Amino acid sequence: MAPPATKRRKLEHSDSEEKSEGSFAGFDDTNGAGSDASACAEEDDLDRSDVSMSGAEDFEDLKDDDEGEEDDSEEEDVEEEGTDPAPVVKAANPQKPPKRPAPSLQDGAYTSESFKSNMFKLQVDELLEQVSLRYGKKEAPAENAMRTLKGILESIPSRDALPILEAEKAFKSTGVAIPFPNPRPPKDAKYKLQYERPSSINATGSYPLKIATRNDNNFSIDLVVTMPQSLLQDKDYLNHRYFYKRAYYLACMAAGIKESTEHRFKLSYDYLNGNHLQPILIVVPSGNGDADDFSSAKCQIRILVAVPEDTFPKNKLVPGSNCVRLKGSEDEATNKALHATPFYNSTIQADANVTAYLKLLHATASKADAFRDACVLGRVWLKQRGLGSRSRKGGFGNFEWATLMALLLYPNAGVGGQALSPGYSSYQLFKATLQFLARHDLSKKPFMMQAPGVTIPKNETTPVFFDGPRGQNILFKMTRWSYTRLQLEAKATVEMLSDSVFEHFESAFILKTELTKFKYDATLEIPMAALGLDDTSDDHQQELSDVCRKIHNLLTRALTDRITSLSFILPDEDYWKISSQRPKESQQKSLLVNFATNPANAGRTVDHGPSAENKQEAASFRKFWGEKSELRRFKDGSILESVVWSTKDAGVSVIEQIVLYILKQHVNAQTADQSKFSGDAFASLITAGGMQGQSGVTPFLPIMNAFSALETDIRELEDLPLQLRHLRAADAQLRYASVEPPTAGHHPASVVMQFEASGRWPDDLCAIQRTKIAFLLRIAELLPKAKSDYTARVGLENPSQPAQNQAFLDVTASGGFSFRIRVYHDREITLFERQLKDNSLDGASRESAATSLALYKREFIQSSLHSQVLQTLSTRFPALSPSIRLMKRWFASHLLSSHFSPELIELLVIRTFLQPHPWAVPSTATAGFLRTLAWLSRWDWRHTPLIVDFSSTFSANPADLEDTSAKGLKASDLERIQTRFEAWRRIDPAINRVVLFAATNLDEEGTTWTDKAQPEKVVASRLTALAKAAVKAMRADEERLMNHINNTANTTTQPDLSPQSLFTPSTSDFDITISITPKHTLAPSKKLKSSLQFKNLEIQHQASKGPASTPLVQLFAQELRDIYGDAILWFWDPQTLDRIVGLWHPGVTAQRGWKVKVGWNGEPVRRKGGEGGVDVQLNKAAVLSEIRRVGGEFVRGIEAKQ
Amino acid sequence: MAPEKATKPKGSKSPPKTVADFTILPLTLPSLSGLPGQCKNAKHYIYVKPHAPSIPTATNERSLFIANIPIDATESSLRALFADQLGGSMVERVEFDSPIPAQPMHKRWKTDQPSQDKGDKRGKKRKRKEEALVAEGVVEDEDSALPSIWPGELHRSGSGAIVTFVDKRSARGAMKEIHKAAKELKLISWKSNNAALGVERYKSHTTLTYPPASTLQSSLNAYLTQFTALESMRNKLRKTSRSVPDADGFVTVSRGGRAGPARVEDAERKKEELEARKKKNAVKDDFYRFQNREKRKEVEMGLRRRFEEDRKRVERMREGRGRVRPET
Repeated sequence: MAPPATKRRKLEHSDSEEKSEGSFAGFDDTNGAGSDASACAEEDDLDRSDVSMSGAEDFEDLKDDDEGEEDDSEEEDVEEEGTDPAPVVKAANPQKPPKRPAPSLQDGAYTSESFKSNMFKLQVDELLEQVSLRYGKKEAPAENAMRTLKGILESIPSRDALPILEAEKAFKSTGVAIPFPNPRPPKDAKYKLQYERPSSINATGSYPLKIATRNDNNFSIDLVVTMPQSLLQDKDYLNHRYFYKRAYYLACMAAGIKESTEHRFKLSYDYLNGNHLQPILIVVPSGNGDADDFSSAKCQIRILVAVPEDTFPKNKLVPGSNCVRLKGSEDEATNKALHATPFYNSTIQADANVTAYLKLLHATASKADAFRDACVLGRVWLKQRGLGSRSRKGGFGNFEWATLMALLLYPNAGVGGQALSPGYSSYQLFKATLQFLARHDLSKKPFMMQAPGVTIPKNETTPVFFDGPRGQNILFKMTRWSYTRLQLEAKATVEMLSDSVFEHFESAFILKTELTKFKYDATLEIPMAALGLDDTSDDHQQELSDVCRKIHNLLTRALTDRITSLSFILPDEDYWKISSQRPKESQQKSLLVNFATNPANAGRTVDHGPSAENKQEAASFRKFWGEKSELRRFKDGSILESVVWSTKDAGVSVIEQIVLYILKQHVNAQTADQSKFSGDAFASLITAGGMQGQSGVTPFLPIMNAFSALETDIRELEDLPLQLRHLRAADAQLRYASVEPPTAGHHPASVVMQFEASGRWPDDLCAIQRTKIAFLLRIAELLPKAKSDYTARVGLENPSQPAQNQAFLDVTASGGFSFRIRVYHDREITLFERQLKDNSLDGASRESAATSLALYKREFIQSSLHSQVLQTLSTRFPALSPSIRLMKRWFASHLLSSHFSPELIELLVIRTFLQPHPWAVPSTATAGFLRTLAWLSRWDWRHTPLIVDFSSTFSANPADLEDTSAKGLKASDLERIQTRFEAWRRIDPAINRVVLFAATNLDEEGTTWTDKAQPEKVVASRLTALAKAAVKAMRADEERLMNHINNTANTTTQPDLSPQSLFTPSTSDFDITISITPKHTLAPSKKLKSSLQFKNLEIQHQASKGPASTPLVQLFAQELRDIYGDAILWFWDPQTLDRIVGLWHPGVTAQRGWKVKVGWNGEPVRRKGGEGGVDVQLNKAAVLSEIRRVGGEFVRGIEAKQ
Repeated sequence: MAPEKATKPKGSKSPPKTVADFTILPLTLPSLSGLPGQCKNAKHYIYVKPHAPSIPTATNERSLFIANIPIDATESSLRALFADQLGGSMVERVEFDSPIPAQPMHKRWKTDQPSQDKGDKRGKKRKRKEEALVAEGVVEDEDSALPSIWPGELHRSGSGAIVTFVDKRSARGAMKEIHKAAKELKLISWKSNNAALGVERYKSHTTLTYPPASTLQSSLNAYLTQFTALESMRNKLRKTSRSVPDADGFVTVSRGGRAGPARVEDAERKKEELEARKKKNAVKDDFYRFQNREKRKEVEMGLRRRFEEDRKRVERMREGRGRVRPET
């Protein structure tokens, strides 16, 4: 592998001998022409100084001696460059990123190894195409502006060396402030400040490397200005001296640009990555349309300051050494005892290494072809996860990503070996980099790359990836918690990418994951003012990060395994005017602490501490918990320190209690009082949605117990002609999925009963149905006799289809729980199938057989199978049941439930739990609900099937990476389902019959729950629209929250989004509204609250209630559906039944030629212009009148749109 | 009431009086509370013509076909309509084509002549021969039918009915009366005397759903007796069809003969055996070079095909949700 790589590199670094000064200027020659101009230019030695626009090739423009002094590990590059004087051909310096060729077989079909799958590859290609900068016309004005800026900077007059005070005084006239870092320079400093022409000016960062992406339609170009070495002294690395000089230098440039008359740019100061040691200049277009206005490029230019490499001794700036001495302790002896200043040291190194890293990245890009693409993928990935280079964004951004990847590509990277190979595809590079992050906890075990002798201070919690050759920890801006967050994200993504069945492209790159409402389960908002930080203090930044660390440590300790992650969202920092010192950060801002909880532990009420005998630990425990800590004796005899939380107050979760208590105890009471805790906001919309101190299935335990008791009791019946084989649940109430947990008087829960096989059944479908009735009658007779607390009666159904099930048995147990038993006889399926194939039957009969078969499979096989699966899943995922119930409530509130089978809604939510990516498995009802909504809003059901793999064994905890092998669906199964779906779309391109396609590993048909336009296309579209609206509202609320913590204007006017508002239906889109007489509606409040006060009375009362029959209004609504068929779509909320609304089917409202059977109530109209032609149109008035007559006393009034 | 004040704003012209061979008869609807203004002068239009099925029936000459009957029509309301408002013709019976709940659907064998049964279900004695045409179960009579769980019928919107009069003359008279009424814009009002509407309808359905056990039991007994009798007859029929060749000399394969379950299992086992033998004897499919070559080619073709499919899929996805672009 090595030789070709070397060769290529040689070719690329041909221009190594260029002289530094002015080499940046290359824009002139190259970018305009856009073609191979740079190559030509470089062949011409005279133009050498003007070489390239990119600056990437210009890293040699440091002093000559740089090369000599290069750290030995970098010798590879340098030697080649040195010994190979300027080969003339410039091999790879594409002016524009190579245009991606149209996808062809060569880069598609054989890439399953290197690209997960064709689909993935094709989408990655398109993504890269979309996000990458074109380096074309659009960007040209920005490059123009850079040339102008360079000209200005080069012509700024020097300023003489003056002592600090004098320099400041002299500078005052410019009206530009000097952004000194804190602490301000001492007045008695002996060194002087000075300005001289920069030794070089270069473009750096992602732009010249051609890996820039537009970020919200914006990007930035970095211009690095290297201070001449003559301004610096050896000892300047100590005590901020370098930084004072740097700040002065920057201010001089600001003043120079400001004063240059012919060009107007808007200037402001910012800190590079929020690091207050590194102020930078931000240049934005003037917007006045002159020659240097680059508004159209939609970008900003950042001017950074760098020092020549090796200005300062590297060994003094390793993480373990101290560079900020206390006053008067300059001697080496005391120096040793001082605290190390790794952050300070790394910051200096960062300024010294700007060019070195550009060089590294460029070299890597030419060595590994896919490096640039992998960088772009990384940028997209980071951005979607809200990670960035700024300390407040985690300190891991594009630069860190690219550098990390480049270093991992480095041969002999050190312990752990070379993780990546230059031959990798962009996808492989991306994945391998993530794998590296996922595997290594760099905050516990530093990664030292070619850095012998460098040690990391023991108590250091900052993650370390030490780049020996350049002597820098590239992760120095990160914190422990931001690394944890990065690592969790990396793990989650690696898991997605390792899934051999599903694609996960969207989750990896398209979805924005850092949305508090979707990603986290609880959020604590702490106003900055409440933290009691001294905002006049010099070191506000540092204090803030200290507070964050403290809160992180406190809460992590207090919450233990209740949470799976804890992270911060800090308010953004603003630019500030160059005319002033940095303004104090507004105290109106807030910071957010986000928690992801573990639902199994989150509601635990008792925390066990150390045993009382363990004196030392017990004392520490008591100290931590204060008065909350108490000594308790537990059942197993142990006596432990413990903390007990109450679940009495349903509105306050245990986590909230703990968080606020600990803040009060250890931060201050003010913080605790002013902080706002929010979590699981939607849970209160359903009964027991909050899972307070219990699992989500608890409210269903009574009915589940009653059900198993019933099974035992039926088994024990002696006089049954056949033995019971099994009794299976086939009802939402028996799989933890009904909106209301069933209580006495609920609607009977469906149950499927199967007897042992017997040859005595008749071999005729109709006769089988009658035999079933005989069985049911027998049980109805025997059961109450055997156990007097049962009541049972046989009911009839399906009068029009004698071959379908004709009867059921309603059994009510003593607790008031009732079950609807239907008998399952497996011979029926064969008989139906036989009829289906029987050519001697007439068409209508075979059609009826087909319908009956589908119904039979659904009611007797799939429904019970589905119930079984859901029972298991609900115990596995505590939040699944409440999420489903919330989702169903939403469907009901928007009057959609009659169009979607409950199983389908359940599948939608299950999908969120089984394919939770890019997030972890939801741990609250709110998260499950919102993420399902988000998916629904994105679901392109015309082109994509819903596929749920019940058996998928992803890890609920992203920490265990190993267990990613899918046991259930295989890629081939998926393909088969996909083919089936596509076949449906082919035979029914108008999508009239199967609108939604929902398959599982147990039911590959995909139409069990959705056949026969259940829902209709119009209804499915409405679902999508409603979900989109809901997600939009949530996103708006997210934005409001972000504005709020940043104290951006106009936040006070917007109220929080109330969960209820997502559940308020809009009926404006409907044509008919039938309002129901209040007497017949169901008032949910009436049902929920029992007026009885005593538990025993309540039980007696409940027991006396029979099972609820279907509400009469619902029967009416269902009959309306039968009467009007396709002509009117009916909607109602089964929970309130206060109105039934209708929508004329779009297909029937138009006037059309008259025919006898149009299928709806038509009125004749003369055809316009036609001679005697008669059309027919819907007779809406007569229809309303009919409805009124059928509805009778139900109808309070009917309204219809004109 | 002002008939010319039409229900539709644009209808300055009166609605047509005939269409195809139907006469259009507007019915004035009762005014009820709670209806919006647009329903004030609502009219229901029924379309009437003499019944003329493609294959004549015994009664078609004294029947009228009515299309678009009101959903709450009953035999008695139509009887009253003709008796009281349309010249007093006597209706013998009415057959609705899409009642709710629908008539029990019995699966039938294909027959050369269309089923007569439909028209003559009620009142008439069914012939045994005809009954055998039912492919499963029995056509229930009063004893064997399950108790009805709905108090009465409604009809699908826009469905039709055949009204049979006592004799030809009444039918003709009624038709004439309808012509006249349509021509003269005579006000005919629709009086729904369907008792089973509104709350009562659903209340009584809820009660009827649970018939007494004794009723159920006796209907069961009757059904099973009839079924046993019919089944033995059907078996006999099948047996004859098994042994009698048809005109072309083929014997129709039909149910019965050997016992069912064993045969399937036997066949499966045999099939497996055969396959196992085939496998043993067959030339291994990587024996010849051309086999390998072809296999490779096939694999490559498969990859190529799948790639093309995937590309199309991505294209479709783009149509569906736009370009691949990260969310903001």
